Amino acid sequence: MPAVTTAIRLSGVSKKFNGIPAVDGLTLAIPTGSIYGFIGPNGSGKTTTLRMIMHLLLPDEGQIEVLGSAQTVAARDRVSYLPEERGLYKKMAVRRLLRYYGRLKGRSLAELDPAIDEWLARLGMDGWGERKIDTLSKGMTQKVQFVAAVVSKPDLLILDEPFSGLDPVNAEALKDSVLEIRRRGTTVVFSTHDMATAEKMCDRIFMIFRGRKVLDGTLQEIQAQYGFDTIRLRTAAGAPILDGMAGVESVNDYGQLQEVRVSGDPQQFLQQLAARTAVHHFEITRPSLHDIFVRIARPTEA
Amino acid sequence: MKNKALIVAVSEFTTLVQSKAFLIGLLMMPVFMGVAMGVQRFTRDSTDIKDRPFVVVDRSGALLGPLQAAADAWNRASEGAGTRTQPRFLPSAGSFEAGDEQARAALSDRVKRDEIYAFVEIPADVLNPDTTSSISYYSNHPGYRVLPSWIEATANREILNQRFRSASIDRAVVNRLTQRVEVSQLGLIAREAGGGIRAATKVDRVRTTAIPLGMMMILLFSVMSSAPQLLNSVIEEKMSRISEVLIGSITPYELMMGKLLGSAAVSVLLAMIYVSGGVFMANRYGYGDAIRATDLAWLFLFLSMSVMMFGSIFITIGAACTDLKDAQGMMTPAMLLLMLPWLTWFSIINAPESPMSIALSLFPTATPFLMLMRIAIPPGPPVWQIALGVVLTTITAIGFVYAAGKIFRTGLLMQGKAATFGEMWKWVRAD
Repeated sequence: MPAVTTAIRLSGVSKKFNGIPAVDGLTLAIPTGSIYGFIGPNGSGKTTTLRMIMHLLLPDEGQIEVLGSAQTVAARDRVSYLPEERGLYKKMAVRRLLRYYGRLKGRSLAELDPAIDEWLARLGMDGWGERKIDTLSKGMTQKVQFVAAVVSKPDLLILDEPFSGLDPVNAEALKDSVLEIRRRGTTVVFSTHDMATAEKMCDRIFMIFRGRKVLDGTLQEIQAQYGFDTIRLRTAAGAPILDGMAGVESVNDYGQLQEVRVSGDPQQFLQQLAARTAVHHFEITRPSLHDIFVRIARPTEA
Repeated sequence: MKNKALIVAVSEFTTLVQSKAFLIGLLMMPVFMGVAMGVQRFTRDSTDIKDRPFVVVDRSGALLGPLQAAADAWNRASEGAGTRTQPRFLPSAGSFEAGDEQARAALSDRVKRDEIYAFVEIPADVLNPDTTSSISYYSNHPGYRVLPSWIEATANREILNQRFRSASIDRAVVNRLTQRVEVSQLGLIAREAGGGIRAATKVDRVRTTAIPLGMMMILLFSVMSSAPQLLNSVIEEKMSRISEVLIGSITPYELMMGKLLGSAAVSVLLAMIYVSGGVFMANRYGYGDAIRATDLAWLFLFLSMSVMMFGSIFITIGAACTDLKDAQGMMTPAMLLLMLPWLTWFSIINAPESPMSIALSLFPTATPFLMLMRIAIPPGPPVWQIALGVVLTTITAIGFVYAAGKIFRTGLLMQGKAATFGEMWKWVRAD
């Protein structure tokens, strides 16, 4: 089989629910072997897109190709999906569940058992195979979900909000596992609301808003669209000093730090600021992904 | 490619046989029957033995003596083996005029104070064959029938004796002449291979009632113990989004068929356990030959059909609902269909060839249960009725599985609200 350089290709894909468009004319190409982040506000169409890729929903218009096949069903055994939060039988023991999901992906027990042992050990769950799912903590449950998705050694792994609700230690373990599975050649697509994670982990980021693609590219490509229009500063007076200052278009207050967009010359703004308070930090930079996200999504959320 | 439906079936089977519901199902029938037998024995052995003193106002002057004598005999008989099994009847004489309401009220007060249990007024003309009066029995225990029935039987026996005597007719002769002749219900005389004739045997209620009913109950309990579990299983998968993971690996139709196969396997296992128990008991009580291999073959065939039918129905309900509360409303018609054989078996046992029995046993969801009963009651229904029942049930089962597949495919991933019957019909008709 020839190597496929595009793991997922969406061409003009649209989906409506009760006449309301959830995804509207979406075109997207996800390169093989990449980590691709889906971001977007709640209800923007992320999960609908992931579900169409998984063939859980059929598009009203457009075409979806997964691992080189337009019949996404054909690639089923090579694709794993982790829905947000749930997706596990509460009363089933961990090993039995992992074997069951793995076997449904066409793997034999001889292939599965070593993979289960390896992933449980990697995620600090040695000896947890006989525990029932409903006795596990939320973090542990999420790790079992992840193992369930990867034991079948998929070529494409789709994760819906894999890091939500995890403590930093578990989030770190899961992040390392995602990177590990990418190293083994798996293409990873995940949706997230954590912009810092998307910035740090993703080769490419795709943002969907009101069913339409609004961002698609590497972090650098996305930030380049906005230029150096952000000033990150820390002052003795904090955010209140910025009230009523000339040229200030928006202020994002993080408490100890403010991100400011100004019209006009940043040097002039610095002089103006220094005349009012002691400036500890002043940095002209590109906007963060978080800032870009908020700029796109805020008008509707207001 | 490995058969994924089979993987689902094995998982469903393992989950179901490890569940409490299976254990309950396994014990349900023996416990149910044991309790029924126990209650019967208890009610037989634990009769009310409280003394029943009562006052007899005998205006005929002819019945008090015989009643007292009969009561003595009853009381002696009730203490036969040293343990009393019946209450003692203790009649005593009373007297007041027929129009004396005060006297009646006084006796009523004694009943209320539990000094006596009841009082009886026997009219003066009770021995007159043309009388229209009746014996009056007063008590504040209208539900207790033993004493008034005994008084009625004893008084009437004595009244008849005295009337016959007055007419100079010997009661013993009358009894002999009016002796009833019993109809003995027999099977047919059989011709043996060597040309001999085997005498007809008396119809045995165990063979004609208990065994057909037992087979129907095995079938019913086996289906009831597994098919409704499919509803819980589908709803759990929907609510926990497990269905999304599964549909990422397997087609909805394979998933549904796997569930049906798993459920059928559980039913078959249960039925085999019940049948083994039944055969053991039948052999123990000398009825081993009454359970025919062909009847058992029918039982397992009908079992498979009913699991497919009812399993599809419960899967459909699970897929159409988002939680168990939603499912309750839709469950009612399904449970009624499942309970139909239980509600109608009595008329089938009594008249297996009646038009009503034939019609009920050809109603597809009831056929597996009721046709099985009719087959097990000798001589069984005509072949055309069995064939028609099997064909109709098979068509219905296929139709249900087909419709369930369509509804399951769409409903499984639907969240938020339960589907209406109209929506489900639309899904069935969709390509």
